[in-house]
Amino acid sequence: MRSIQQRLGIGLAAALLVCGLLLILGARWLVDNALRDYLGSGLQTESENLLVAVVRGANGLQLDEQRLNPAYQRPFSGRYFEIDAGEPRWRSRSLWDHVLERPTHVGLTRHLINGPGDQQLLVYRADYQRWGQKLSIVVAQDYNPLLTSFSRMLRLGAGIGLVALMAILFLQRITVRRALKPLERVRHQIAQLQQGQRSQLDAHVPQELELLVEQINHLLSHTEDNLKRARHGIGNLGHALKTPLAVLISVAERQELKAHPELQNTLRDQLEQIQQRLERELRRARLAGDQLPGVYLDCEAELPSLCTMLKQIHGRELTISYHFAPGLKLPWDREDLLELLGTLLDNACKWADNQVELTVLKKKACYEVSIDDDGPGIAPELRRDILERGARLDEGVTGHGLGLGIARDIVDNCGGALSLENSPMGGLKVVIRLPLRASSQ
Amino acid sequence: MRLLLVEDSVPLADELMASLTRQGYAVDWLADGRDAAYQGAVEPYDLIVLDLGLPGRSGLDVLKEWRAQGLSTPVLILTARSGWAERIDGLKAGADDYLTKPFHPEELSLRIQGLLRRARGLVNQPTLQAAGLSLDESRQCVSRGNESIELTSAEFRLLRYFMLHAGQILSKGHLGEHLYDGESERDSNVIEVHVNHLRRKLGRDIIETRRGQGYRFGTSA
Repeated sequence: MRSIQQRLGIGLAAALLVCGLLLILGARWLVDNALRDYLGSGLQTESENLLVAVVRGANGLQLDEQRLNPAYQRPFSGRYFEIDAGEPRWRSRSLWDHVLERPTHVGLTRHLINGPGDQQLLVYRADYQRWGQKLSIVVAQDYNPLLTSFSRMLRLGAGIGLVALMAILFLQRITVRRALKPLERVRHQIAQLQQGQRSQLDAHVPQELELLVEQINHLLSHTEDNLKRARHGIGNLGHALKTPLAVLISVAERQELKAHPELQNTLRDQLEQIQQRLERELRRARLAGDQLPGVYLDCEAELPSLCTMLKQIHGRELTISYHFAPGLKLPWDREDLLELLGTLLDNACKWADNQVELTVLKKKACYEVSIDDDGPGIAPELRRDILERGARLDEGVTGHGLGLGIARDIVDNCGGALSLENSPMGGLKVVIRLPLRASSQ
Repeated sequence: MRLLLVEDSVPLADELMASLTRQGYAVDWLADGRDAAYQGAVEPYDLIVLDLGLPGRSGLDVLKEWRAQGLSTPVLILTARSGWAERIDGLKAGADDYLTKPFHPEELSLRIQGLLRRARGLVNQPTLQAAGLSLDESRQCVSRGNESIELTSAEFRLLRYFMLHAGQILSKGHLGEHLYDGESERDSNVIEVHVNHLRRKLGRDIIETRRGQGYRFGTSA
């Protein structure tokens, strides 16, 4: 969709252009009419003057040259007449060799008539009776000079109109931009929301946006509440199931049962299976995935604690180092990411000889998280199997490792990809690529 | 060693009490978070096993309160919540270790041993070593060189406490507080008797009597 600003601009420009053109055409028509009317009445007066100049002389009718406008004497002056009294006929000297086309009707001709040179003539014909004789007087005036100056005026007007159009568009752009500022701010905040830089939209917005923003905020908190409630419920369920399970496992280890090793083994196996299944399904159910914007993992705040914790768990001479840009935040649910990193790092710690390294990088198209260890690694031909089977390989190490299975679930949920590579440290390198959100590009 | 177990599930608490008592720990059991917050801060426990989902007050709150008061007793969190995020929250609240339910009883006792040694600044080895003695906590017997010496339950408890506090002067009252749970009758003569038994088995010099002050273990070695 085009932006509102663009649409407003194009709409306004088109409307203004059409109006401007109509205005210019209308003005041209009106002014042309008014001028012709005005000149027509001048020509009528002129014809009357000519009529007066026709006098009765010794040889019948005569034209009194004294009374004529001097412009009629100068050739191609732009003012012409022709008087037809049957016999004689008089033509103005200014016509020179040009034959003036006689209009068929009395009054002002509708069309301009070609005159000498490139003159355009406005022609007026009047028929009179004088001394019992019919007189038909045709007067003409060159309309071209007026037309030229009139067109020049129009062009000037159009120019001014264009400049005004530009100015209006520019001002409109500014106004629209100012008016749309709140929208732009909301857009920006939504982008921040997706990058995990805020968790709610600012509620101070113009009336028109209030409902929208309120609704978005409501949805956000609703989703968050739902997620919390679901997680709480899952937590409670886990608590309710795991505590009795802990009792049963403890009972299975009792002295009394040592006398019946078969019974004890069956109990242990079955309890182990229940525990693994329960653990896996509960973990899956807890994943938030992509449903909540506005959440993030603050690397600076969380990763050092995670590493400290892993060091505590695995004790021995293990170095866990981490590298990330200061202030880096990953825009996914904190619990999901900690679960992912915790699981993978825990795995790495189990296999490593004495070094584990965590690196988080923000690249152009994705966030790249890699976990290196200096353990035995996994042969390239086995890697695909492991990923596809959801990681059975590591389950033997401590008996309750769910490892890559849960990690893959989380990565899939986030829309990312997980791959296994050779680590420069000698062991396995687990690389996770999580896509940047569309808006943060 | 005196432990506080805070756990609201009665069957699990029963199991744990039985197993921990068998391992020679004096265990007090509480089920309510509010009671735990008070008693944990007042009684001189050597270690606290804390469940997070407690009635009254959440375990994390209780733990934060203890740490804010400056209580440095090692705390092992025992919970059904197994997410890494929750573990980190527990660690940040001041927990020293985190064990998720369900767990093997052996795992719990190993963690408790490890925590107790770490709290005393000792290396976590399979056996507890001090003053030329090496104490096997799972078998409850002590050895010096190749010689293995059997101990009674009471002697084992006393010796373990001495070995974890080697070189320190420990009064009878202090020993009584740390070796018996809140409900047992404390009789300082009993401690005297057990100290004599230990001296008979391990040599007179192993525990020195400081008149008016108490006992000191392992100074002769």
